[in-house]
Amino acid sequence: MYWPLVPELSLDLTLRVDWADLFLVVDSYLGVRQGILRRSQNPDGGWSYYNGKQSWLEPTFYGALVLHGDPAADRAWALIKSWQQPDGSWPPTAGAAVSGWGTALCLTLAHLRGDVDGTFLKGLAYLLKTAGTESEIWRRALAKFGLVDPGRNLSLKGWPWKTGTSSWVEPTAHTLIALKKAYALLPAPEVAARVQSGEALLLDVRCKDGGWNYGSAWTLGEDQRSYPETTALALLGLQGREEAFSAIDLATRWLQETPSSLARAWITIALRLNDVAVPETTGPSKGSGSPDLMFVALEALGAPDGNFRFLKTEKA
Amino acid sequence: MKIKRRDFFPLAGAGLLAGYAGWEGMRSRRNAPAGPSPVVVVKASSYSDDLAQRILRGVRECGLDVRDQKVLLKPNLVEFDPNTCINTDVSVVAAAYEVFKSLGAAEVVIGEGPGHRRDTYSLVEMARYRDISKFDDLFVDLNRDDVSSVQKFADRAEMYFPNTALRADLVVSLAKMKTHHWAGATLSMKNFFGLVPGSVYGWPKNELHHIGIPESIVELNRIFRRSFAIVDGIVGMEGNGPIQGTPKPANVLVMGRDLPAVDATCCRIMGIDPAKVEYLRMASDGNLGNVDESRIEQRGEKVSEVRTNFALIDSFRGFRLT
Repeated sequence: MYWPLVPELSLDLTLRVDWADLFLVVDSYLGVRQGILRRSQNPDGGWSYYNGKQSWLEPTFYGALVLHGDPAADRAWALIKSWQQPDGSWPPTAGAAVSGWGTALCLTLAHLRGDVDGTFLKGLAYLLKTAGTESEIWRRALAKFGLVDPGRNLSLKGWPWKTGTSSWVEPTAHTLIALKKAYALLPAPEVAARVQSGEALLLDVRCKDGGWNYGSAWTLGEDQRSYPETTALALLGLQGREEAFSAIDLATRWLQETPSSLARAWITIALRLNDVAVPETTGPSKGSGSPDLMFVALEALGAPDGNFRFLKTEKA
Repeated sequence: MKIKRRDFFPLAGAGLLAGYAGWEGMRSRRNAPAGPSPVVVVKASSYSDDLAQRILRGVRECGLDVRDQKVLLKPNLVEFDPNTCINTDVSVVAAAYEVFKSLGAAEVVIGEGPGHRRDTYSLVEMARYRDISKFDDLFVDLNRDDVSSVQKFADRAEMYFPNTALRADLVVSLAKMKTHHWAGATLSMKNFFGLVPGSVYGWPKNELHHIGIPESIVELNRIFRRSFAIVDGIVGMEGNGPIQGTPKPANVLVMGRDLPAVDATCCRIMGIDPAKVEYLRMASDGNLGNVDESRIEQRGEKVSEVRTNFALIDSFRGFRLT
């Protein structure tokens, strides 16, 4: 029986949801979360991280995945599609003129919805031209001549949170999902090349303990420790790569140990996408108790009957 | 004298530059402390001491009036590790909350935007912040708050910040006394990195590293000038801070309205020469606050009596105060 996250759900409910919600759908882990998302959608069609705040791209993306096929998801996509910027990227929220990782999420959603038009192509072009600044030629030259020791292979290209900054595990993982989905429609060699480079980068920054930190495995001579949520995200980006399989045991252990409901949600999704049975958790009964609606959406995605499959990718 | 057309543009450019420099200088000087800055150092041997009474003393000695003000308490929750002491201790946060409420603040909220980990409430839980009564009603996750832009931030045209921070009348930096492997030391000024929203800039807030760590620290402190510092040095962190260092008791709380002066004092307590810490040098040069010892009015304990050298990583060995 899959019932691992209910203790913290009850804590969530005390924070912001009517108790009646629980009794109406008490037998459905997924239904409770779908209900929360339906009722918390902003009038503009988006979702905020926390109830009553402005709509953000990220929770709106996950809300739309959970409720795919529902008019609520259509409203969500109509909103964030309208946010695309002239350079093809998406901002994190309306009016914030920052180009970033949300672009990958929008491409994944557009692909799911079969909305592959000029908007999609402009977004794809943005992702293909964007890379972490650490791979710039002058930085590679400094490393080549031994003037700096980056502790990683700078010829590999990942993706940053924001244009003009360095690449990190999470935006790279999200972009790999988007590009693999794009490749299924448009099998262009430049898409395949970026996917291969991005996957190689993730494998290159893997920590000694077998998982992933949010960035490098090594900083200023010190090994960095890995984290549950970033390890799960790397497993998403590396779906099907045998080199990553050994991290599944680590992720499964963390599922029992981590107090973070976000980490547990991501691990659950990663295990399911890697066709690994998700064990019933016996770990901490009290989770982070976050009222973050994005976490609710991620828990819903990871339910056995949830829409985690929308993040499934094939090799590019 | 006749100015030729080809001479005009360089002259006009120089004029514009001079005007801009003058305006920038005025902008800085307008906020510079008029006289010596009071910094209060009080001893606290453990977190079970009466910290509220100590913080109250610091606030009063600095002449801070918070009546009818909206106060944001900004602790350091960048990450959590049970094996060391990354975070501002919960007892310091609780005591500060009690003090600012008792002094008649219209509103006191606790806000933080952790720099590395995305599950803010998990950090809150692990750092035991939920031991504070009604904590969830008081807390704002600054990584996911509504945002507004501020024009000009270092070389950027604009930067986004949480509305909770922008509308606060006073931001209280509840910092931890730690060494920092990039900046030398992280104290009340660097703690403002947590005011930058991860929802816009990511986890970590790598944009600040690309702007430059010292430049970003100074800019953040220029924007959030209505501030007060309470540095938790009861148990600080030495060595490879701010995450992987080891606990180091200094048994002090350091407080003041002039954050560069507070941080310079903390450095001296830690055995670090503040003149070698780039962001403090920039803050001093930009008239953001007082760093020179002669411009700081030390109250409470003498620095020489509480100084305890924090271990420094190799790249900062030259920072040791003689």
